[in-house]
Amino acid sequence: MVLAVLVLGVVQSVILLQFDWFGEAAATEAAPIDTMMDVTVVISSFIFAIVCVALGYALIKWRAKPGDESDGLPIHGNTKLEIIWTIIPVIIVLGLGGYSWAVLDDIEKTDENALHVNAYAQQFAWTFGYPEDGNKWSEGVLHVPVNRQVIFDLQAQDVIHSFWVPEWRIKKDAVPGLATDAVVTPDKEGTYQLVCAELCGIGHTTMRAYVIVESEEKYEAWLSKQTTEVPTSLLKTKDEYLEAEAKEQEESGGIEGSGVVEE
Amino acid sequence: MESASIAAHGHGHVDEHEHHGPPEAHQSARIDRTILGILLFILSEVMLFGAFFAAYFFLRVVADPASWPPEGFELPVLIAGINTAVLISSSFTVHYALEAIKHNNHRGLKLGLTATWLLGATFLFIQINEYIHIGFTPRDGAFGSIFFSLTGLHGAHVFVGLLLLTFANIRAYRGHFGPAQKDHLGVEVPGIYWHFVDIMWIIVFLAVYII
Amino acid sequence: MAAAIRQPGWYRGAIGLVLGAAFGFGLVIALRAISGLDLFQTEQTGYPHVVVPLITAPFGFLFGFGAFDYWFRWAAGKPTIPEDHSGHGAYSWKDYFKFNTDHKVIGTQYVVTTLFFFLIGGLLALLMRAELAQPGAQIVAASTFNGLFSTHAVVMIFLFIIPVFAGLANYVLPLMIGAPDMAFPRLNALSFWLLPIAGLIFIGSFLAPGGAFDAGWTGYAPLSTGAPLGQSFFNIGVQFAGASSIATALNFLVTIITMRAPGMNLWRMPLLVWANLSTSLLVVGATPFVAGAQFMVFFDRILGMNFFNFLEGGDVISYQHIFWFYSHPAVYIMMLPGFGIISEIISTHARKPVFGYRLMALALIGIVVLSYSVWAHHMFVAGMFSWLRVPIMITTLLIAVPTGIKVFSWLGTLFYGKIHTYSTAMLFALAFIITFTVGGISGVMLGMIPIDIHVSDTYFVVAHIHFVLFGGSVFTIFAGIYHWFPKMTGRMYDERLGRIHFWGTVIGTWLAFVPMHWIGMDGMPRRVADYATQYGDWNLLISVSAFALGAVQLVFLYNMIVSWRFGPKAGNNPWRANSIEWQVTSPPPVFNFDEIPRVVGGPYEYGTPGARHAIMGGEDEGAEVPETKPSTVTAPS
Ligand code: HEA
Ligand code: HEA
Ligand code: CUA
Ligand SMILES: [Cu+2]
Repeated sequence: MVLAVLVLGVVQSVILLQFDWFGEAAATEAAPIDTMMDVTVVISSFIFAIVCVALGYALIKWRAKPGDESDGLPIHGNTKLEIIWTIIPVIIVLGLGGYSWAVLDDIEKTDENALHVNAYAQQFAWTFGYPEDGNKWSEGVLHVPVNRQVIFDLQAQDVIHSFWVPEWRIKKDAVPGLATDAVVTPDKEGTYQLVCAELCGIGHTTMRAYVIVESEEKYEAWLSKQTTEVPTSLLKTKDEYLEAEAKEQEESGGIEGSGVVEE
Repeated sequence: MESASIAAHGHGHVDEHEHHGPPEAHQSARIDRTILGILLFILSEVMLFGAFFAAYFFLRVVADPASWPPEGFELPVLIAGINTAVLISSSFTVHYALEAIKHNNHRGLKLGLTATWLLGATFLFIQINEYIHIGFTPRDGAFGSIFFSLTGLHGAHVFVGLLLLTFANIRAYRGHFGPAQKDHLGVEVPGIYWHFVDIMWIIVFLAVYII
Repeated sequence: MAAAIRQPGWYRGAIGLVLGAAFGFGLVIALRAISGLDLFQTEQTGYPHVVVPLITAPFGFLFGFGAFDYWFRWAAGKPTIPEDHSGHGAYSWKDYFKFNTDHKVIGTQYVVTTLFFFLIGGLLALLMRAELAQPGAQIVAASTFNGLFSTHAVVMIFLFIIPVFAGLANYVLPLMIGAPDMAFPRLNALSFWLLPIAGLIFIGSFLAPGGAFDAGWTGYAPLSTGAPLGQSFFNIGVQFAGASSIATALNFLVTIITMRAPGMNLWRMPLLVWANLSTSLLVVGATPFVAGAQFMVFFDRILGMNFFNFLEGGDVISYQHIFWFYSHPAVYIMMLPGFGIISEIISTHARKPVFGYRLMALALIGIVVLSYSVWAHHMFVAGMFSWLRVPIMITTLLIAVPTGIKVFSWLGTLFYGKIHTYSTAMLFALAFIITFTVGGISGVMLGMIPIDIHVSDTYFVVAHIHFVLFGGSVFTIFAGIYHWFPKMTGRMYDERLGRIHFWGTVIGTWLAFVPMHWIGMDGMPRRVADYATQYGDWNLLISVSAFALGAVQLVFLYNMIVSWRFGPKAGNNPWRANSIEWQVTSPPPVFNFDEIPRVVGGPYEYGTPGARHAIMGGEDEGAEVPETKPSTVTAPS
């Protein structure tokens, strides 16, 4: 039985490791995550093999002959076994948990000279602002330099959206009234897709943007050609909203609010 | 209505007449079914309030407004305090009613129940008055929302409690109820519910008006 | 006619419905008149003229239908009519359409109604699969598509999985613990009748201007607070479905705690009873949170409150915390009763005691406790407090431990047994172990934050959902229905058709839901009506398999309906099971027992000669039967 588990587990792992589960990788954050997936796949293969082999073995060995009306052995339990199959999973999951924590810390480390990019999500489009450069903006196309950490400061104008570039493995929701960020270090030039991953209404399916990862020079050249600034309607953070709100109240002399979330 | 149903059930399983029917169930716990039912119901009610307190926590602590209550909101703490006293005293009267019927004192039962009902009604009356004169509406900011939701949710529970007490009153005046537990469940169960409504108010009052 | 109108029933119910609706409508008009608003203005998401009657009309119906008659007489201090038991038992099919208080009738009503909703939910899924069979837009508009998966999930969860378990347990649980009925039979009937109401509201939302609710079954604010009228149908329907499940859970808890037969201490309860005890604890504690969340959205929509409007100081993320505080426990509400069913079936058909019975019961309780501490694993990428993620990850992963105990103990039960696989119930139970393990393992992967960051909100999650819910819950439901079918109907189903259904379902499930893992990991987000062409082939396979899976369910239906009418008589105990429900006739007598049985041993004492679980009334008159001690055989090694 042990042998069968080992064989099945190894066979499964080998087969499953042939696949490139998460697809192309294009950020330094992707490597540890992909490795982690592989480790998890191997562990899972063995767990699954244990269950399958145990079930199959029992079915072959203890299947009743037709017409056999006798009962099985009246075994009520086995404390040692029960302890084993409590403790071992505890160890496995704590191990996986610690590993995840380490990887999480690793991929969320921020760099001091990271490039900050504002990503504004609204139904149903993405726009990007480059605060280091007078908050010049780009509609529907995101340009970033390769091999430099980028911190995306996400802002949602209406409902929740989610920033996801599958090749980067990084996803984070953009939430109205909340500042969230996503940290990525793109390490492969190319054109990718930015996908909105949180249901945001009728246009959710098509809420995409292009991501162009290019060399530092090309990026600078592109940036210098940008002229328009982010429109002020997109600029307000929650505090700015509230400030404007307060001013309005002062003027109207009441506490009645006027801001309505777009519907 | 659910609470009414549970309370009313006090009578459901006590067969008063001889007839062919199901065998009496074995009683496998000391607690009466109806009492256990109302306690579990109260547990789920507590969780419903819990959901709103969770929202309260988020609006006050996580969203972190500049002040709480935000500028421009004034709460009539004194009136609410008086109202609190009214409601708390009604817990004593309903307790008195229960003790009375346990000693087969029907006059005390009626007295206690009537007093409780009147105190509860007074509470609701003052509360509605407070709503009318408070100077802001549920539409005014997150504070308006959570204020009216928490106190309104509680007010709805007072209303349901009053309904249960009304039933108990009617039956008391018709001479029902007796000293044995199965004969005064119709008082005991609304009583338990009423105590819960009181305690909940103290928590709501502390959260909304005091701290 | 006049008498028919005064009697509780459908006539009076219809009148109540109309009066209830009129009352709600009038209330809106009156309130608007008082506050000086336009009487009929409807140019807003609120539509109070529709929404308020939507709440009052069902109550009108229930009044008319007779749900509250007894309580009103009691409340008014009138003498209550002594129970004539006309509300007990079913003597013709018509009795299933009445306000019946018999737990067995209610159980049947539940199962039949929920299977009907299963078909509706399945049809919605098939519509969705038709659209997704190829990239590009085919048969439905994007807005309709959002309504499809939202209603699909809501119908499946709130109208099928949760209540069908309540229905099965309604039927067998009182029998299993030797009780004549549930603790509160009228409340039980009311719980049932709330369900079709919730169902009509959910499905009726397709008729609302703006279409069915389409913010997903999760209804995240602020998408839901700004959505068209249909979303209010969701808010209200959840209240009815939730009230139904809270009332049932409360009923189960009181029944289990106070009405067990003499001798049935906690450690002699069948595991199905343990499972429903745990589930009910989850329902009573967690369901109010979904009610609260939907109330808040409803208030934001109808009354213009600002719970989730950040411009007015609201907090958007709080919706998700409150929602998931219910909805994670809810996934175990949808699984634990199934665990109970599997324990019964495996032990019966392997002719062995459940391995590690006590640990099995404790594992259930462990899952209940842990369930309350993992809600935020649905929010790893939602922008919530980042410090909360790792603690939640640890508790999430730890839930694999008690669940693993259950899986290993079922396997342990099979060892050294006499495994019979002639019954479709057992086949489903065995397949469940494998399929659920896959779903559970993908759950563990989701629980690991770095992986979840990538696969959250993709088809990987959809694959997980269906492996645990279809390969998990639905398999256990099929197993349970096949297992207790002879008890409920007195007749046997056709095993050959059962096998066709079994193999079709297993293969269909794997083919339809395995590829979802791959396309999800590769980058296909969930909740989209269209996708990149590279996923076209897999999606076609998924769609074809889904249709095959749907078609196979017709075999199941045919088998159930025909066997119910024409199947061979089943006998009282076709599986030679020990628990009490099998010791009475099939179907059981109206009052279950003439005399409450006496429990003298554990429920799974297979293989111990002379061991008994219960002594039925009328049997062994006067003779003292010794209490059965579990024997202490250990496995040969
Ligand atoms: C019946 C329903 C059910 C069940 C039982 C589960 C069980 C589990 N679920 Fe699942 N889940 C859902 C229904 C369910 N889930 C649904 C509907 C959603 C989507 C909601 C939405 O967004 O629409 C979801 C989403 C979901 C997410 C969020 C994904 C996202 O949106 O980003 C996560 C993340 O942690 C998760 C985790 C888990 C875990 C860890 C378990 C564990 O309980 C699994 C435990 C079981 C096992 C692990 C297998 C058996 C164990 C062994 C053989 C022992 C050895 C194993 C190990 C040592 C690992 N689930
Ligand atoms: C118990 C729960 C349950 C069940 C049983 C199912 C069953 C199925 N589900 Fe569903 N599903 C969910 C719960 C469930 N689902 C949830 C919670 C979501 C998430 C929703 C969200 O994102 O908000 C989801 C989402 C979901 C999606 C993703 C939508 C998206 O994100 O874009 C898809 C896509 O393929 C899908 C497909 C299916 C299929 C093919 C089945 C099949 O198993 C169905 C099999 C078919 C039948 C059972 C029909 C049989 C009937 C007939 C053949 C016709 C006969 C009719 C009459 C006689 C009247 N489901
Ligand atoms: Cu924006 Cu989905
Ligand atoms: Cu969960």
